[in-house]
Amino acid sequence: MEVQTASRVEVMGIDAGGTMTDTFFVRADGRFVVGKAQSNPADESLAIFNSSEDALAHWARGVDDVYPELATCVYSGTAMLNRVLSRKGLKVGLICNKGFEQIHSMGRALQSYLGYALEDRIHLNTHRYDEPLVPVSRTRGVTERTDVQGKVVIPLRADEVRQVTRELVDAGSEAIVICLLQSHKNESSEQQARDIVLDELAKLKSEIPVFASVDYYPSRKESHRMNTTVLEAYGAEPSRQTLKKVSDRFKKHGARFDLRVMATHGGTISWKAKELARTIVSGPIGGVIGSRMLGEYLGDENIACSDIGGTSFDVALITKGNFAIKSDPDMARLVLSLPLVAMDSVGAGAGSFVRLDPYSKSIKLGPDSAGYRVGTCWPESGLDTVTVSDCHVVLGYLNPDNFLGGAVKLDVQRARDHIKVQLADPLGLSVEDAAAGVIELLDLTLSEYLRANISAKGYNPAEFTCFSYGGAGPVHTYGYTEGVGFKDVVVPAWAAGFSAFGCACADFEYRYDKSVDLGVAQLAPDADKEAACKTLQEAWSELAVKVIEEFVINGYKPDDVILIPGYKMQYMGQLNDLEIVSPVPSAATAADWDQIVDTFETTYGRVYASSARSPELGFSVTGAILRGTVVTQKPVLPEDADAGPTPPQEAYLGTRPFYRHKQWVDAALWKMEALKAGNHIVGPAIIESDATTFVVPDGFETTVDKHRLFHLKEVR
Amino acid sequence: MTYTNEQVANLIDGKLDWETTFRMLSMPKDGSRFEQYLAALQSRVGFKDRIVLPLGPHLYIVQSAKSKQWKTICDCGHEFCDYRENWKLHAAIHVRDTEEAMTEVYPKLMAPDTQWQVYREYLCPSCGTLHDVEAPTPWYPVIHDFEPDIEAFYQEWVGLPVPEKAA
Repeated sequence: MEVQTASRVEVMGIDAGGTMTDTFFVRADGRFVVGKAQSNPADESLAIFNSSEDALAHWARGVDDVYPELATCVYSGTAMLNRVLSRKGLKVGLICNKGFEQIHSMGRALQSYLGYALEDRIHLNTHRYDEPLVPVSRTRGVTERTDVQGKVVIPLRADEVRQVTRELVDAGSEAIVICLLQSHKNESSEQQARDIVLDELAKLKSEIPVFASVDYYPSRKESHRMNTTVLEAYGAEPSRQTLKKVSDRFKKHGARFDLRVMATHGGTISWKAKELARTIVSGPIGGVIGSRMLGEYLGDENIACSDIGGTSFDVALITKGNFAIKSDPDMARLVLSLPLVAMDSVGAGAGSFVRLDPYSKSIKLGPDSAGYRVGTCWPESGLDTVTVSDCHVVLGYLNPDNFLGGAVKLDVQRARDHIKVQLADPLGLSVEDAAAGVIELLDLTLSEYLRANISAKGYNPAEFTCFSYGGAGPVHTYGYTEGVGFKDVVVPAWAAGFSAFGCACADFEYRYDKSVDLGVAQLAPDADKEAACKTLQEAWSELAVKVIEEFVINGYKPDDVILIPGYKMQYMGQLNDLEIVSPVPSAATAADWDQIVDTFETTYGRVYASSARSPELGFSVTGAILRGTVVTQKPVLPEDADAGPTPPQEAYLGTRPFYRHKQWVDAALWKMEALKAGNHIVGPAIIESDATTFVVPDGFETTVDKHRLFHLKEVR
Repeated sequence: MTYTNEQVANLIDGKLDWETTFRMLSMPKDGSRFEQYLAALQSRVGFKDRIVLPLGPHLYIVQSAKSKQWKTICDCGHEFCDYRENWKLHAAIHVRDTEEAMTEVYPKLMAPDTQWQVYREYLCPSCGTLHDVEAPTPWYPVIHDFEPDIEAFYQEWVGLPVPEKAA
């Protein structure tokens, strides 16, 4: 234990996951600690407190002493997601167009199989609709119609709006959502409806909140817009209470920072933000943000981020220093219109169950997993189906006495017995070979997935650095990167707390989107280009008001806000748009338009191919984007002096038998925390710390750099 | 994966929780399911004959308790015929071949034109249970749904001894 109070603790990141709550503290000198505690869904603030105490104990410090020092703190967690999954939100009343009352429940039909593995998606019997967030009994249609061009064809009937407002209040609604067709194109009817509802509620002396989709998410795609606005009403307010509780506990312990929350677009927002629905997914995004920052340190602008946890393997790509954004993703089995950092996920992780297909006798991984119950190697788990972790324990990858720092004791013999009966005997193999087969299958699945993800997007793995993190990541890093041909493979020493670290790296950034429809021919006259600029600029100005408003809530002055306009553009008639950071701060002239087009074409040439560019089709702008940020404190990385290639004697922990490629070898054991910058380790070796295990098998070597990043290489 | 008799019984009654149902649907079928399924069905019916193969929610091929012959019978015990024959030819048949008859089951203009398609309903002559509905063109012969190879099913698929059968 290192007692040192000279350096201030500045940044804290929180990843409140389903089973563990991780905290990550960084000092001004770049030293960091990771804390872990069991999550507590009933009171998240308590789990965060416990996890903080766990982390700070490494520095012999306490919460009361450190919280007041902190300059910044970012939360990511599953509070909002769980509220939606367990359907514990507000009773929302929904007003839509007459005749469209069932649309929300129908969920575009595809909500019946969202989140399923392919086998189940193509198997109709398994399709099932979740209970809708708003039941049909609290949905009312009103007469109104705006056509696809935004022309009001049937004006809104005000009397009907008043009538349904009264009905929805009588039905016990705690919030009212209004979402009319094409309102992203012409907001007038919906705004009119909103004002009538507010007026009627005032007459009823009711103070329930009203959410019009145009005020929140004015994007095309009716089901997406409706779902997102409903989600805001349904889950955001209760989640705000959870966050307030977290914030209050911080304050009680002397904190002076304002709690921020990781949002789907890759920035952080205040817990007081107007649009809180976008915090529904946050943990996995932290890793991507953290990778981008590490990439900046290392001078790598192309990064493959890979995160392997207990249940899934998530991959995201950073190209030229930027991650891609998906504008209509699905989350919690709902189609939504929220900007989300693009990630691909496959349902195979360290906790995946392993079974034999009774007909083909082939090994099957997942799709379900043991989650926090580890595997049959943990007698208390109550499990009797073999998991990937069981195979790791049997083969010597994991230390049975040091799982989660010894918090969980694993029974190797129990795992051996289960593997023998369930896999080895039916396959006619030894227990070791059966278990090794499972690991090989997982490694192959993951590396193929990773490779496909990169090459399918037209990139070459040799131009990418692979970052590997997540609790189980470093165990598999060698397996899923072997032979892919990455430029470099990096495992941070704080892999287990990497998402929390990444959250702390994120900008304080609001992002608002608006659908626009602009079409301009390649050789259009200047007047057309100017008109297009005018429309785009109007959208940016409208969004700027919203962005600045959010910062003002947090006590910033409008002048403090750095605004970054962007747009979504495509060749006219093509289906996919690209998101571009605008080369011009504002758009007015034909020259501005030409720059906007040039930047799009350059990006298109990079993402696809120069020869695929099709300017003769003309250009469409489909969306306006505005991001606003303010300057915040971010973690700095440690800078250690080079201690030479030989690891210090105190880092050596002995050896453990380790099975790979049909033989047992003695792997050298090293204590991760005791290794110094510059140390070089040749496999077979296993580098252990409380929260993670880094496996360096025969044929691999690794070096620790001055930032405490491990670089893994195949020995030639 | 194995399931308890109670879970299988709940499956039949439509009371099984979704998570378990989903797992059953998406994983390879558990080896003992057919046996458990038959046992649960047997405990629900009023007749003494042994169920050999369920044909529908209320229709079974059974081994007659008295004669050991295999027969197709209804929940209520009504015997249709030998299991190799088409039981529909022994059922009460109701044909909807007029617009009036169609509007009893579908809103006007939302039912087929009876010149092209009719509904033939096959009911139990004793208890009136509706066992099957065909929607063929008007002249189409009565459809013989399938002739199960029960011996092969027992021996080769589920690995159970074939129940005794009188010729």
